[in-house]
Amino acid sequence: MHHRFKDIIWLASRDYRNEWQMSTFFIIALAAVLGPMMILYGLKFGIVGSMLNSLIEDPRNREVRPIGSGRYDSAWIEQLQARDEIDFIIPRTRAIAATIDLKSEKARNIISVEMIPTGQGDPLLQSKSIPQSLQQLVLSEKAAQKLNVKPGDEISGSISRRYKGRSERVHISLRVTDIAKLASFTRDGAFTHLHLLEAAEDFRDGRAVPALGWNGTNQTNDKRTYPSFRLYTRSIYDVAPISDAMNKLGIEVNTRAADIDIVRSMDKNLSLVFWLIALIGLIGFSFSLGASLWANVDRKRKELSVLRLVGFRTGEIVWFPVLQSAFTATFGWLTASLIYLGVSFTINGLFVTQTEGSETICQLLPSHFIIALILTLGSSVIAASLAGYRAARIEPSEGLREI
Amino acid sequence: MTTTVTHPGANQSGERVLIYHLRDVVKTREAEGSAFRLRVPSLQIALGEKIALIGESGCGKSTLLDMLSMTLKPSDIGSFRFRPEPGAEPVDISNLWQKKQLNQLGDLRRLRIGYVMQTGGLLPYLTVRENINLSRRLLDMQDDGLVDELANDLGIRRHLNKLPHLLSVGERQRVAIGRALAHRPAIVIADEPTASLDPIAAERIMSLFIELVDELHITVILASHAWRHINRLGLRHLEHHTHREADGSMTETVVSG
Repeated sequence: MHHRFKDIIWLASRDYRNEWQMSTFFIIALAAVLGPMMILYGLKFGIVGSMLNSLIEDPRNREVRPIGSGRYDSAWIEQLQARDEIDFIIPRTRAIAATIDLKSEKARNIISVEMIPTGQGDPLLQSKSIPQSLQQLVLSEKAAQKLNVKPGDEISGSISRRYKGRSERVHISLRVTDIAKLASFTRDGAFTHLHLLEAAEDFRDGRAVPALGWNGTNQTNDKRTYPSFRLYTRSIYDVAPISDAMNKLGIEVNTRAADIDIVRSMDKNLSLVFWLIALIGLIGFSFSLGASLWANVDRKRKELSVLRLVGFRTGEIVWFPVLQSAFTATFGWLTASLIYLGVSFTINGLFVTQTEGSETICQLLPSHFIIALILTLGSSVIAASLAGYRAARIEPSEGLREI
Repeated sequence: MTTTVTHPGANQSGERVLIYHLRDVVKTREAEGSAFRLRVPSLQIALGEKIALIGESGCGKSTLLDMLSMTLKPSDIGSFRFRPEPGAEPVDISNLWQKKQLNQLGDLRRLRIGYVMQTGGLLPYLTVRENINLSRRLLDMQDDGLVDELANDLGIRRHLNKLPHLLSVGERQRVAIGRALAHRPAIVIADEPTASLDPIAAERIMSLFIELVDELHITVILASHAWRHINRLGLRHLEHHTHREADGSMTETVVSG
């Protein structure tokens, strides 16, 4: 039995090779269906994958922003910091007090920038040197351009206030520790130590800042509250629970959850579209392959009956069309894979300028190739089974004479 | 309805070993309004015998050959025994049919029977050598030189590595004969093996065929409608008689021998 299965493989492959024109035709027909399907899926997987990736990688998608202002103290902020879902949280001072005028020796204009509180682990300043004291800052790219400075440069900052009817201005010398990526902050801005922001707020409120030698009332601000904070969750999946928790506390927040949902539902819908197309394509191919195999059984009736006559069993004859169908599936899949590799290489080459580093427009994983092979083999074998059944019903006596 | 049947040339010595022994085997086929029946009251074929079945088409030759080659199930069997080897016990074919042991019948065919078809029935995707060797290959037989010997005797040696479509009809028929004999079967069944050839080629191939089965001690059953040269080859002519009802509703052929 085992040996004769080998014989059936041998005979089926010899016949397949002998009719190479027909075989090639069906291999190409399969590749013409399967190749574009693989490219389509590769595009979907690549594009949606990149989008999801950039969503995950872009820290701004993990931000939970309070709307309006509240009164939050340090203890409350610290207690939030302890939560697992939260990656980074830092209080903000009043926005109106959080500006500073910057001047560099290398540029003529003085610019006014927003100060953003930062600290260790700020997701917007990944792999940047974080300001360690209130005399250090990280400039946004735009601000750095206007000031024509690079990391390590000294610049001078000044803050003004109206105090007791007079306009006053204090100066502070600052060191640029790093320049933030454009994506991190697109306007003129400076990531500074929270203490600098607190100092600026105190100064504008008329209080003295002894550490910097700024005059004012000596009334200290022991019970400082902050109107807002910067909060980033650990992953985009933590955004929803944290924003829910905030809402429960009566804090209205803004997130990019909607964007994430859009990409997710796009992924789902595109998958649906893809599988619809794949289903139609595979069914169509299966029918045409099935019909040809069915016709083959008629065409090769004599030869198949000869095989029956020389002693092949019913169950063994069934393998004849099934094996040939499996050959078509395998070679068609191979051809389609080659087509896919060529086309995806070209597509990725075309878009290489528009994509960032690791992003690929058209991409399939090894497992996708395996799944494609299994699906193709499966549908081909199903298509062949009817022909196989027909072949099995051929009487050996038919081989004895002309019909 | 029945007619008497004679046994011309039958040697009735009790010692001869029977390869086929049939008693009261009937095959009935019915088509719209008319029926055909083949009846075999008794048939004994001895090992090494050469049997010729001569008759017009439609007389039931093919039906008999199909039953003898175990590819057609008889409608009714008194007894049907087949002895695959001289020393072996006869196999009860009627029992195998009744128990639907089709695979066992297939195995018996593969091992013991060779076939020569009317028009070759060669596999177009195998070379001449592979075609001749097919029956041997399926039986895992080692090469003992017989394939080359047969090719030599049949005059097709130079074609061994060609595909059949490059050969003439006559050459293909020689290949078919080679394939039927290559696995040294107990019996070769040939249905009009030379019908597609011109008379001269037919006669030459037929003599070659008979020579080879003689040499290999293979029993042969041959069906043909042309019997001019059959007589000269010393075959035993299997007697049969066909009777038609006047209204055409029934045709019956009785074979005995």
